[in-house]
Amino acid sequence: MKKILALVAVVALVAFAAPAFANVNPFMDVPMNHWAYDAIGQLAARGVLSGYPDGTYKGNQPMTRYEAASAIARALAVVDMTKASKQDVEMLKRLVVEFKDELDALGVKVDQIDSRLAVIEERLGGWKLWGEFRYDAWFGAGDDVTEPNLYGTTGSNRFNVSRYRIWMRKFIDDKVTFTARLGSVGAVFERYFLTVKFPWDITAHIGKGDWYDWEDEDGLYIDNDAMFANLSTGFYFNKPFAMGNFVFFVNRPDEINIVGPTSPIERYDIGARVKLNFNEQLWLSLNGILRKYDSNVLFAPAIDQEDEHIYWGAVGINFTPAIALKAAYYAQEIQTGPTTESPNSFQAIIDIKQDALKFTSFWAEYRSFDNNFTAWNAEPWNLYGDVTGLNLGADYDSVMFFYLKQKWTDQWSTFQRYFIGNARNEIPGVTDNTTNWTFGVKYNYTPGLSFELAYDKIENSHTLVNDDDSVIRFRTHIAF
Amino acid sequence: MSLTRNGLYVLASVLIVCLMLAFAPAALADAKVLERWSQTKSYKDKEGAELDVRVTYYSAEYIEALVKEEAEKNLWTADETEQFKYQLLSGLSLDEYIPLNIEFDNRGPTMHLAPFDRFVTLWAGKKKFAPVEYDKRFNFGFQGKRDGLVYFPRYDEKGRSNLEGVKSVRLDMQGSMSSVTMNLTTVDFIFDVARDNPEALYKGKAAARLELDRLIKRMDKLNAERKKLEEQLAELNAEIGTVEQRMEELQRQ
Repeated sequence: MKKILALVAVVALVAFAAPAFANVNPFMDVPMNHWAYDAIGQLAARGVLSGYPDGTYKGNQPMTRYEAASAIARALAVVDMTKASKQDVEMLKRLVVEFKDELDALGVKVDQIDSRLAVIEERLGGWKLWGEFRYDAWFGAGDDVTEPNLYGTTGSNRFNVSRYRIWMRKFIDDKVTFTARLGSVGAVFERYFLTVKFPWDITAHIGKGDWYDWEDEDGLYIDNDAMFANLSTGFYFNKPFAMGNFVFFVNRPDEINIVGPTSPIERYDIGARVKLNFNEQLWLSLNGILRKYDSNVLFAPAIDQEDEHIYWGAVGINFTPAIALKAAYYAQEIQTGPTTESPNSFQAIIDIKQDALKFTSFWAEYRSFDNNFTAWNAEPWNLYGDVTGLNLGADYDSVMFFYLKQKWTDQWSTFQRYFIGNARNEIPGVTDNTTNWTFGVKYNYTPGLSFELAYDKIENSHTLVNDDDSVIRFRTHIAF
Repeated sequence: MSLTRNGLYVLASVLIVCLMLAFAPAALADAKVLERWSQTKSYKDKEGAELDVRVTYYSAEYIEALVKEEAEKNLWTADETEQFKYQLLSGLSLDEYIPLNIEFDNRGPTMHLAPFDRFVTLWAGKKKFAPVEYDKRFNFGFQGKRDGLVYFPRYDEKGRSNLEGVKSVRLDMQGSMSSVTMNLTTVDFIFDVARDNPEALYKGKAAARLELDRLIKRMDKLNAERKKLEEQLAELNAEIGTVEQRMEELQRQ
C-alpha cells in the first residue's frame, strides 16, 4: 500500500510539463522558523529525500523560496518512494502546495497534476475524516427554582461540551459514496447514507441524513433552524437541470426511534420541490411535504396523530448580488378529527450583505401567522434560549427579526440580533409581546478555532409575562 | 400602532434604501460591474462553523472594469495597463475556456474536495460541463482560505461556442462539499452572460498581442501539419521509389 501511495505521489509530482508564470517574489527569504525546513529535514532523515546535487539545501542555512523550491524539485526527481509513508506523502504534498508558484516557474507544473491522482488517492487512502465540537460556558441563566430558566442549564451556570460531530466519507467508486456522522447523542452514528449517481444526472441519497432543508436552500432563515426541514430516513432524489432542480423524497422515521408497533410517530413524509432560476436576479421555488401517519386501529384516537401537510412558494429578487428581497407564502393543512384547519403564514425578508453597506450586513424579516400555524422541526428563533416554541400561530399574529453582522477583519466580527413577537391575545398581566436580543463578538484565532462571547436576553418567552431570563455565553468552537 | 404596521413601515423603508443602493449613480458603475460578476454566498452551521464561497465569472465587462480599477489603483501608464491586460487575458485562456475563479473562506471543518471536478458542474443552456482543468490545490484538504481557477470548455468538438444563444450559466456546486452545507442539495451561482459586452474587451494593444499569440499558435499548428504531411509524402515517395526500383529489377530479369 505504501509503495502504491508513494508511486502515485511520484507520478504526480515529478511527471510535469511546461513552465508557468510565478506571481510571488521567488527571491524572498524563507524564514528560518518556517515549517518547510523541518519537513524537508525530516523527509531527508527518513531517507525519502536524498541527494542535493548542487548542495542548495543545507538544512540549517537560510534560503530563498526559489532555492527551497529548487531543492524540492531536485529531491523529488530522486525521491525514494519505497521508504515513504502516507504521512511522508502528505508532507511532500504540503511542500508542493507551499512552493507551487516557484515549482511552476522551475517547470514542475503543479497545475498539470493528473486529476486521476486525486481519485487514486481517495481509493487508496480510504476514509476522509473531519469534524467539530463546541465547548460552552454559560453564566447567569435562571436557576429554574426562584426564576425562569430559558437556556436549558441546570442551575444558573454550566460548562459543557455541548455538541460534537465527527464526519467520515469514503468514495466507494465513481458512482457511490458513503458518508456517516458520529454525534453527540449517545455517541452513536446519527447520520449514515449512500450517495448514488444514476443515469440522466439523477443523484440519490439513501439512508439517514439532513437533506431537505429547502428553506435554507432559498435563504429563508438566518437564525436557529428551518421550520419544516427535518431529518430524513429514506430515499431522496435530485434531478438538476439548466436553471434549477427538481427534488422528490419518501421518508419514514428510523425504526430505532419507534417503540412498539403502535408508536404515534410512524408515518410517511413525502415531499417534492422545484426550484427555477429565471436569471441572476429572479428565482421561484414551489415546495410541498405530505405527512401521513399510519392508520392504526389499536391506537387510542385521543392521542392518535393526524395527517398534516405544508405547501409553500417562495420568490426572490436580487437587485444586486448583495441586495435581495425574498418572500414566501406557506399554506398548512392540519387534520383534527373530522375537520381540517388551514392556517397560513406570510414571510418577507430584506437581505443586504456587507459588500453593499460596507460596514455591516443587514437582515430584516417580517412574518405573519394565522391562528394555529405550527412549525414542525425547530423553533426558528431559539438560537440561544427558549423564545417562541413551535406553536407560533397560537401565540403570535406576527413577528419581526433583525440580524446584523460586522466583519471587521478576517479574525474579528461582531453581531446583533433582535426579535419581537406580537402576542395574538394580549391579556394584561398574563401575556405580552416577546422580545429577544443579543450582542456578540467572535474571534477566529485560526480557521479551525474560534471564540464567541455573547449576551442574550429574553423577555416574555412564549408571550408569558415575566418569563424572562438572560445569559452570557462563552463558546469555544474547534473544527479539524 | 400595531407591530404589523410598524413592521411593514420598517420593511418599506429598508426596501427604499435597497433600491437606492441598487440603482446608484453611474459613478459607481465599475464597482457595480465588479460586484455583479463576483458573487459571494455565506453559510454557517449550528456549531459555529462558517463558510464563504465567492465565484467570479470573467466576463468581458468584468475584465475591463478590473483592468481599469487596477490601473487607477497603481497609477499605471497606458502601456503598463495594456501589459497587465495582456497577462490577465493570457492567463485566463478565454479563447479556449470559460474560466471561473472560486474562493473559499472555510472557518470550519476541513473540506476534502478531491477530486474537485466531482463537486462542480457548469450548466450553459441545456448542456452541462465538467471542468477540463482546475487548480489542483483544491484537491488537498483545507481550512481557511483557498482559491483557484476552474476552466470549462468554451467550444464543442465541432468548434461551436458553448455559450451561443445562452442567456445565463449556472455553476452548480454540491452541498456535500462541506459539512456546513451538507443540508443543501446545491450551492449555485448564476451569471447572465447574455448581458455581457464582449466587443469592449478586444481593443487596444493587448488585443493585438493576443491576436498575434493566436496567429503564432495557429502558424505552429499549420507548420506541424505541413511537417506531418511532408513526412507522409516523403514516406510515399520512398515507397514509390522502392516499388519502381523493384519493378526495374523485375523487368531486367
